[in-house]
Amino acid sequence: MTESSPLAVLVSQAQDGDQHAWNAIVERFLPLVGAIARQHRLSEADGDDVGQTVWLRLVEHLGDLREPAALPGWIRTTARNECLRLLAARGRTRVVDPQAGGLDTVTDDVSDADLVAAERRQALRDALAGLPDARRELLLLLLVDPPLAYEEISRRLGIPVGSIGPTRARAFAALRESPALRRLAPEPEGGPS
Amino acid sequence: MTSPDDFADLSDDELLAELQAAVAEADLVTDRQREAARAAFTWRTVDEELAELLHDSALEMTGVRGGDDAPRTLSFASRGLTLEVEIDGDVIMGQVVGASASSVVLQRSIADDQPLEVDSAGFFRMEGVATGPIRFVVQAGDWTLTSPWVAI
Repeated sequence: MTESSPLAVLVSQAQDGDQHAWNAIVERFLPLVGAIARQHRLSEADGDDVGQTVWLRLVEHLGDLREPAALPGWIRTTARNECLRLLAARGRTRVVDPQAGGLDTVTDDVSDADLVAAERRQALRDALAGLPDARRELLLLLLVDPPLAYEEISRRLGIPVGSIGPTRARAFAALRESPALRRLAPEPEGGPS
Repeated sequence: MTSPDDFADLSDDELLAELQAAVAEADLVTDRQREAARAAFTWRTVDEELAELLHDSALEMTGVRGGDDAPRTLSFASRGLTLEVEIDGDVIMGQVVGASASSVVLQRSIADDQPLEVDSAGFFRMEGVATGPIRFVVQAGDWTLTSPWVAI
């Protein structure tokens, strides 16, 4: 069982009480939850509280989760709702300076485009995690900024320089073909709660 | 922008750039967030029945904040019990309705349980409550009420 195990397997194992499966689930979705908190411009402490609340609520609802494919949508929706809820709670207890008009305390709701972009990055991470090790490792080395020379990549992966180009092409093809990206259609609402 | 075929239309370099942003986002996760998320699993219980959230004033005012200093109010119900809670800054006040409460415990995800003093009318009050996820566990007669987690 690894981070790249299918979500359905991880969810089923976590439902049976497997802490390692749970860790793999949170590892996969922590970046998404963090991105949504940042989009809502929460303070770092409030962002952490929202994140922790999302995980606690997922623990509460794990037993009800019948369709693991609905989990990403559930996490996204719950994270967003908890952000808005905490922002509202903070707004209520904030001391408002009448001279300032209070309008600066109103935060625009995060656009759907931002949320879709966050989910898209999530799908890319899922797709990367689902690739065979050799292809994933090559892609991760190609991402290094500033870029590594092919000679360096060849040395690190122990493959000939001449094979990097073809391997890279196959890795991209595999990424595009991955279920995580091909499934990236608008998420139906659903799942637990 | 998000048709399922979208990624197929990107060049390798465009895909690589998106991948870079996706991986960079994962690097922003802090150890503290990771540890807290993992620790949440220790709250897992099998077949626990949670109280229903009947009301949270913070859910009813999104987008129109700023001028209203009224305390946040929440209420939960489970079978014969109702729990009314008011949060005003770092003060929590509440009342258990439906049966005579024998105990009210404030639980925090990463701290010890805090038993609250509850009077004969079911009222309780606590000051100096820190922000973060909390929940309440109420014992009253034969009933138990466990609220869902809520960030305050």
